[in-house]
Amino acid sequence: MVITFPHMGPAYISIKALFEELGLKIIVPPAVSKKTLEIGTKLSPELACLPLKINMGNYIESIEKGADTIVITGSCGPCRFGYYGIVQKEILKDLGYDVDVIILDPPKNGIKEFVARIRKLAGNNSVNSILSAVFKAFRVTEEVDELIELCLKTRCREINKGETDRVMYKFEKAIRETRGVSEIRRCIAEYKERLRAIDIDKEYQPLKVGLVGEIYTLIEPFVNLNVERKLGNMGVEVYRGLTLNGWVKYHLAPDIKFRLREKRILKKADPYLGLCIGGHAWQTVAHTVNFADMGLNGVIQIMPFGCMPEIVAESILPTISEQEGIPAMTLIVDEMTGEAGYQTRLEAFIDLLRQEEENKKNEYKKVLSWN
Amino acid sequence: MKIGIPRALLYYNYFPMWQTFFEELGHEVVTSSPTQKDIVNLGVSSCVDDACFPVKLFHGHVIDLTDKADVIFIPRLTSVSQGEFICPKFIGLPEMVKNSVKGLTPVLILDLNLHKSEHNLIKAYIAMAKQLGADSRKALRAFRRASLRQKEYEFKLKSGYTPLEIINSKQSNRIIKGGKVIGVIGHPYLIYDSHASMNIIEKIRERGYNVIVPENISDEQIEKQVSNLPKKLFWTYGKRLLGSSFFMLENKKVDGMIFVSSFACGIDSFIAELVQRFNSRKWNIPYTMITLDEHTGEAGFETRLEAFLDMMKWREKSGNYLSAHGASLYLY
Repeated sequence: MVITFPHMGPAYISIKALFEELGLKIIVPPAVSKKTLEIGTKLSPELACLPLKINMGNYIESIEKGADTIVITGSCGPCRFGYYGIVQKEILKDLGYDVDVIILDPPKNGIKEFVARIRKLAGNNSVNSILSAVFKAFRVTEEVDELIELCLKTRCREINKGETDRVMYKFEKAIRETRGVSEIRRCIAEYKERLRAIDIDKEYQPLKVGLVGEIYTLIEPFVNLNVERKLGNMGVEVYRGLTLNGWVKYHLAPDIKFRLREKRILKKADPYLGLCIGGHAWQTVAHTVNFADMGLNGVIQIMPFGCMPEIVAESILPTISEQEGIPAMTLIVDEMTGEAGYQTRLEAFIDLLRQEEENKKNEYKKVLSWN
Repeated sequence: MKIGIPRALLYYNYFPMWQTFFEELGHEVVTSSPTQKDIVNLGVSSCVDDACFPVKLFHGHVIDLTDKADVIFIPRLTSVSQGEFICPKFIGLPEMVKNSVKGLTPVLILDLNLHKSEHNLIKAYIAMAKQLGADSRKALRAFRRASLRQKEYEFKLKSGYTPLEIINSKQSNRIIKGGKVIGVIGHPYLIYDSHASMNIIEKIRERGYNVIVPENISDEQIEKQVSNLPKKLFWTYGKRLLGSSFFMLENKKVDGMIFVSSFACGIDSFIAELVQRFNSRKWNIPYTMITLDEHTGEAGFETRLEAFLDMMKWREKSGNYLSAHGASLYLY
């Protein structure tokens, strides 16, 4: 059994850690590229959302490298993600690939089935070693998140432009060479040090922009055309509404403190959207309000084309923007997205924010002049 | 009080129930006018671009009602069946409308969520009646009458009528003896809206075919069909489309199938894919998919429909023809 899984931003590091700790053979899918997208678009239903298409590309690329089992998580609606596994399985079947697709649904719909699937995956490992591997993987997720957080803080303040990107590029190469949890953690720690060693301008007051939206598009850099890097290199500090670590802490790990904090943020969405409508639309709305309270300069929503829950959030955003006084922009990505147009929109948005910030600073001058 | 019910989305599923319920409580019910060009335009210009066509239409119908009604009824159906959901856009519908339509008449929201328990159905209706100032006894009586009407309506649907024929009580039974049958699969709000769907059902009938729709298939049959799926399908209406089309295909109830979907419909993108794949694997019945949105031109639509019907005829004539080149010139 050689396992593969969909590529989703830095998630591959934790998944790699988990499976390697359990002693299973895995193939980490190659980083998402134009080729992945092309394969996926060709094979998937035309109107399916972008993550499904990219997953398909991942599977094919990994299968060609020798994988024969695909592991994905599932959900029970109402977002389309819950049915990804089934549709993808049928597509692979028609293509003639004889692979096993293991869907890890939340255990509330049949605990027996869930345990059976875990058993099938874990093989000879005891319950104890499974649990310890899972907790180690949580820890890796947390550390990767800290690294990214550090990277976001450094990139916008660095004195020699491009230094952070160079370190992160090397990190991505190095992490794929590692084996096992301890090596992975050592690698992360090393690159954290390298990031800390970068010269930064401590006086610099960057613009602050929050990112909200659909989780896959937020954390997979190929899909969002590296929005974090683009903004960072414009000298903007990025705040993330949804992170992989946050998702793990909220849904999987028993982290009560984090859950309470998240619940408090969700409460802020009440005047606009008071319930979960699937996907991350509720979080999008809540974090936008939260970012406004935090005094950020603007919010950017990113979603794949046709994402059902995010469309609802998109229609609410202008009202929040008006009432909470925070500029918001929606960027929609799909296989047709062009990088140049995207860059232009980002730059224009940042220019507007910068102008507004200047105006705020120069408010007293206005009083003195005639306009 | 005049309560306005938009003639869009779930109107086709639940109108008899809602109408009876409000009338029993002593209110007047008005519906928006049938979809026309200007309603489409109003909807498209007020709604966010990325929403699907039916949701845009709903916005148009709400705007159409603003002068006609004192309060506009917007259902928020999170789930209509235990353990299942419907489309996320339906759950956020009141929010979408409130934030997109400027100068909106007060809205009346029905908060229905049967995800945990089916008992919430009565509770939801009584809670709504309280908003209208009725006491629980009166609400309960109205609810009973309304659900009776709804049952009657659903019963009639199963006997082969389309929702509009029942709501408008024009029940001309026009089943052509010995005619070919075409299954028209699609969400009720799309295929029964004669403007949005370019009157597809009538057009097929005019050409001498019988039409069956998902509403004609009984729930038991649908359940039976979808129970073979490897994972429970959690969209109630998606399940209806998938189960009914499997039923029609498997039992050879149809000679051809047209899947009508709206552009960017999230649920259909999966359901249509599954129907198509299973059909070509097991049953091989002529199948086509027509995607509609506000830009669809009627001429192009007719061409595709005619091409499909022609294809069905040719297949009947030369379906058993085996090419001299071997099993088939093409790879299927």
